Amino acid sequence: MSLCGSIEKGRGIGMLYINDLTKNYGSFTAVNHLSLHIPEGDLFGFVGPNGAGKTTTIRIVCGLLRASGGSVRIGGTSAAVGSKVMKRMIGYVPDFFGVYDNLKVREYMDMYGSMYGMDSRDIAKLTDDLLELVNLSDKKEEYVDTLSRGMKQRLCVARALLHNPKLLILDEPSSGLDPRARVEMKELLKNLHSMGKTIVISSHILSELSEMCNSIGIMNRGQLITAGRIEDIMQQISGGKRMHIQVASGMESAVRSLKEQPGIRIESVRENEIIMLFNGADEEISALIGLMIQNQVVLTGFYREEGSLESLFMQLTGGGAQ
Amino acid sequence: MKLRWNPIVKKDLQVTARSMRLSWGLFAYEAVLTMTFLMALSIIQQSSRSFYSSGNVYGKLIYLFPVLAVAQVCIVAMIVPVITASSISGEKERQTFDIMLTTCMSPFSIVLGKVMSAVLRILFFVVAGMPIMALAFVVGGLSWSYLFYFVLTIILLSVLSGSIGILCSALCRRSITAVILSYAFYFVVYGLTFLPMFLKLFMTHAENVGESMLLLLFNPIIFYEEFFMQLMTGESVFGQNGSMFSRDEVGFITYHLSQGRAWVFLSAACILLLSLLLLMAAAWKVNPMHSSSGRRRKKK
Repeated sequence: MSLCGSIEKGRGIGMLYINDLTKNYGSFTAVNHLSLHIPEGDLFGFVGPNGAGKTTTIRIVCGLLRASGGSVRIGGTSAAVGSKVMKRMIGYVPDFFGVYDNLKVREYMDMYGSMYGMDSRDIAKLTDDLLELVNLSDKKEEYVDTLSRGMKQRLCVARALLHNPKLLILDEPSSGLDPRARVEMKELLKNLHSMGKTIVISSHILSELSEMCNSIGIMNRGQLITAGRIEDIMQQISGGKRMHIQVASGMESAVRSLKEQPGIRIESVRENEIIMLFNGADEEISALIGLMIQNQVVLTGFYREEGSLESLFMQLTGGGAQ
Repeated sequence: MKLRWNPIVKKDLQVTARSMRLSWGLFAYEAVLTMTFLMALSIIQQSSRSFYSSGNVYGKLIYLFPVLAVAQVCIVAMIVPVITASSISGEKERQTFDIMLTTCMSPFSIVLGKVMSAVLRILFFVVAGMPIMALAFVVGGLSWSYLFYFVLTIILLSVLSGSIGILCSALCRRSITAVILSYAFYFVVYGLTFLPMFLKLFMTHAENVGESMLLLLFNPIIFYEEFFMQLMTGESVFGQNGSMFSRDEVGFITYHLSQGRAWVFLSAACILLLSLLLLMAAAWKVNPMHSSSGRRRKKK
């Protein structure tokens, strides 16, 4: 499968084009010929174990790291990474960010607005709107260092949106947040997605990503293993069809008859349960059940395991995420 | 055209103004200046009471000006690197620098903003010390314009010290390393610029140091020596009889530079040029698009 273009098939225009991106640190290759296209309006989840190259990729896109090879384009412009044109198109929220002592929330927003060359009146108006969006309106005159971690993270999102970027990039936005703050962050991102913002999130929390994102890319050891819509990838993984067969009696006979069938690989046999991978079509499943009943096997349950992002991730990378 | 504040200057001044460090810093600065004033006054009084003295204490009070000025120069030279050396590395330690780099500010604007804010903070101190400085003027003999010239030289010194500090800050990951490196850099600017001259004097046993002195145009010590000499006596440190370098000992170019106030102006230009080069080097270093492949970033 060509990973390039797989996400945007049949959808809007491309927002982020990463083409053959490579980053080497000496002999170590952090990102290895990564190509990825993300369409406008997508909420894209970047998944991968530690050291997979997600943050490196994000830092290259944001102009914080020079790539060893390849190219990055945003919104169809041909501007170079790190140029002012590109910087105006990106809102970046790092995994961890510090704050300045003795700086109020309003002043914090004002400082970053000025750094984008915005007019102070525009900054003031947008600050009010954005603080309302991230539910921090009542904290406007408070010092940034007195805010909780979750509030600081939401403030950072508001800061990243101040110059109205086309693309919002968040590097592990939920890391270090308590469950409540995670939920608030998730709701905020869903809200932004519904407003039409293109968002790229790198995260370890797969359950959250599967709830939020409409497309994902899985990275491992610097390479993009797969990318596309979540449902497409799920379908791809469930092609293996992990089946659970619960047996009341006749376990030996059941195992024997299953082993005789083509396209079946038994993964494990427990006291009352057989877990197997089945490659056949759905209509073959009923024939399989019939065969086992014919062989005096008493079945109490038979179900197909639903594909989850966790199982997909584990299967593709060999683990490494929550 | 609307004049815009550099956002970093604005932020740094806001943050500094609310900090207790500013108050304590001002207190310490004034205390050192007052102590210097009182000690200088005491020495002048004691020397005027001696047997050989004419007893005219007022005639000597004008020397309070260079004494207090030198004290301020020393304090500024010592504290500016501490302020600027921790500026970029401090942002990196706080992990705010990455966000700054993703904004539309160029790396040069960022380092310039950091140095400007350090210079402005130093000016708070210098202006606060003005009343003590002004006591040297009440007895007459000195023009009030000297105070203005002195403030200009302090700005120049702050820019140079700030540029050294900011480059070291860009080179180092930790603030403390940057501060130490800044003082090592001081040794190069203040000490090693004498090296060609000493080498010529001692290695070749030459009577004439010639143009080996020209590197001293970048040396703030010589700049201030010449500046005060010009203000107090109207003579050049290179041309005064009995000074370390007489006209016979310096080279042709140095001799002509020592005429009038040429050395002061040229030295100021050289120091500014050096500062600009250091700022550009710092901007180049912090620009992620220029830095080499670098080390892998460790996640916290």
